[in-house]
Amino acid sequence: MVGILIRMKLRVLRHSLRGTQAGLTGAGALVGLCAAVVTILVATMDFGRPGVGVDVLAAVYLLWTVGWLFGPVFTGGGDETLRPEHFAALPITPRRLAGGLLGAAFAGVPAIVTFLAFTGLVVLADGAAATVVALVVLPLQLVFVVLLSRVVMAGLGAVLRSRRGRDLGVLLAALVGLSGFAIQAALNTVGPLLVEGGSPALSTVLRVLPSGWGVVAVGAAADGQWPLVLGCVAALLLVVAGLLALWGVLLERRTTRVAVSIGPRRGRTRSGIGHRLPPTRIGAVAGKELRTWARDARRRVALLSMLIVGVVVGVVPAITGGDTGPLPFAGLVVVTMACLLAGNLYGMDGSALWHTLVVPGAEAVDVRGRQLAWLLIVGPVTLVLALVLPGVTDPGLYPWVVGLAPALLGGGAGLIMVLSVYLAYPMPDQRASPFAAGGNPGLVRGLMQLAIALLLGVVALPEIAILALGSGTPAVQWLALPVGIGVGVLCWWGLGGLAQRRLAGKGPELLAQVRKQV
Amino acid sequence: MTEALRLERLFKQFGPTIAVDHVDLSVPAGSFFGLVGPNGAGKTTSLSMAVGLLRPDGGTATIFGVDVWADPVRAKALTGVLPDGMSLPERLTGAELLTYMGLLRGMDKDTVAQRTGELLAVLELDDARDRLVIDYSAGMRKKIGLATALLHAPKLLVLDEPFEAVDPVSAATIRTILQRFVTAGGAVVLSSHVMALVEQLCSHVAVITRGRVVAAGPVAEVRGGTSLEEAFVHIVGGRTGGSEGLSWLAS
Repeated sequence: MVGILIRMKLRVLRHSLRGTQAGLTGAGALVGLCAAVVTILVATMDFGRPGVGVDVLAAVYLLWTVGWLFGPVFTGGGDETLRPEHFAALPITPRRLAGGLLGAAFAGVPAIVTFLAFTGLVVLADGAAATVVALVVLPLQLVFVVLLSRVVMAGLGAVLRSRRGRDLGVLLAALVGLSGFAIQAALNTVGPLLVEGGSPALSTVLRVLPSGWGVVAVGAAADGQWPLVLGCVAALLLVVAGLLALWGVLLERRTTRVAVSIGPRRGRTRSGIGHRLPPTRIGAVAGKELRTWARDARRRVALLSMLIVGVVVGVVPAITGGDTGPLPFAGLVVVTMACLLAGNLYGMDGSALWHTLVVPGAEAVDVRGRQLAWLLIVGPVTLVLALVLPGVTDPGLYPWVVGLAPALLGGGAGLIMVLSVYLAYPMPDQRASPFAAGGNPGLVRGLMQLAIALLLGVVALPEIAILALGSGTPAVQWLALPVGIGVGVLCWWGLGGLAQRRLAGKGPELLAQVRKQV
Repeated sequence: MTEALRLERLFKQFGPTIAVDHVDLSVPAGSFFGLVGPNGAGKTTSLSMAVGLLRPDGGTATIFGVDVWADPVRAKALTGVLPDGMSLPERLTGAELLTYMGLLRGMDKDTVAQRTGELLAVLELDDARDRLVIDYSAGMRKKIGLATALLHAPKLLVLDEPFEAVDPVSAATIRTILQRFVTAGGAVVLSSHVMALVEQLCSHVAVITRGRVVAAGPVAEVRGGTSLEEAFVHIVGGRTGGSEGLSWLAS
């Protein structure tokens, strides 16, 4: 059965790898290949101290394992080329299916690249006996990381299907966003410590974690410590068997239970700002948008990412560097992020666009209503941050922050609609995992999205000019505020109008673009 | 007479909603069994539990004496399923989908190739055999789903809304295929909203509403002296609305 599933997966991959998708996969393979080569080079290095080679390689393999854990979260819910649901009606036991899907998991770029990286075990091996041990633990270590990643994603998938689970998922996405900084900090401090062999506790942790067992076994074989070698191999085998059984259970749950439907939370439907909007056409669109921002898991992920990036960019340098750095400008960072993340509103709504297209004249109000909703969400956060943060750090920056905020808010409200209408791309089904939030704009579309979002910088130019020219004379600098408000209103109105005309003229083309299945 | 499918006290609850409330059903071998009921009555939920796609909260389902939830492998080998709103491996062509599903069921390569060709031809999908499933229309998806259900020559077919979105010519083809299947001793369970079709096609019918079976038996018995449609409206305790209110419509 493994053979059939592998052939099936390769066939699916061949059908889906076309154009930019193939290019992206190729680029990913190249990056992975570089990482694998670096890993092998690390394995060849001589650190001049016994045991350090094992520690360093164990640390590198821990990074690979972490990559397998978090990679799927970033790339949209893991490898769904073959879905367990497709095989639910077949007379196959869950455990056999798990075995088959595991086999198929090796047919892919990530597994091959990881295999190459793990050949570092053979490179590290000193002597014939150690080489034999390396050849034994290499496949085990590979099976371990692949299985661990599948089991964790399957477990998360099971949790994510309930509504409470979705909120948990949002939180998790937030943590993943932060973990990048944690890893960077860890590398800076841990790296030197490890090479100098200065921390026995750290080296113990690296060796005790399953990601280090293979390396430990190879190192122990070179020293002739056979009980330790056998222990490591047996432990790896045991963990792999346990994970496989667990995955079987999770697969069975996935194919025999359904999600309870996602409805509005009881008692919360009649409250909130959505109900205080005027009963006009624009009010209706804005109300619908506000509710969607609150209820669509993917939009919640986007909102939370916006806040987290704002906090990380503003606060983290302030803590680690001791300098207030960009902290006073956190509000402006939040606007910029919110603009980038809301650049595919029609793509997020998918084929629901038809509702707008069949109502005469709805295109114009749709654009304005969506702008209003975005401003209602981003505006208050930005204004609070802009009014509070300079006060606690450097009050001299008030003209800068307060002058730029309205310009960026107006510019953002205009640009999100231009982006959403001109550069929409289809996204996975709403019922999919919220981590499948990325969608895939394709290389060209992605770059153009980024480029247009950078126009937000252009919006800021007049104010920056005034602020720079008037530096030293606050009276002149405060002129940036009325100019900023003017530019903001102009952008909101003008760019929104551009989007309105495009939506009215090319509505069917936009619908065809966003309704594609991905 | 042996039973092709038997449901006993089948029960399923989603949160506070009871979707299927202790359903009992007996489908004799060689029968053509229609399952009808209003929207949201629990038809799809019952059928999913009957074929091992949704775990019941209580009760049993047996297929030719095999308990579906105790021995799913044997039960699934006897059954061909067409679920409603199913997900298909979108990036395979129709021919590839049938081939891989057949191989996964343990059939040999030549048999799979021969049956795939025949099924695609009979269901008029041979023009689309090399197109990706993602590009199929709703009706074509139903037909390729039906082909995967028939591929391994099952003893029992469980089909959820098999005629939905299918064109009249293909619908007639499917009817003929199913009738031949029943004549040869197989059993078919299908759910449908089209009463005339059920009346014409089925030997037995069960009416399910609010998660309960309210009438079941040979079609002639269930409908009595009236048409099945009238009997259905009477049984589910409804009345056809639409004549009151809405005065603003087309005024």
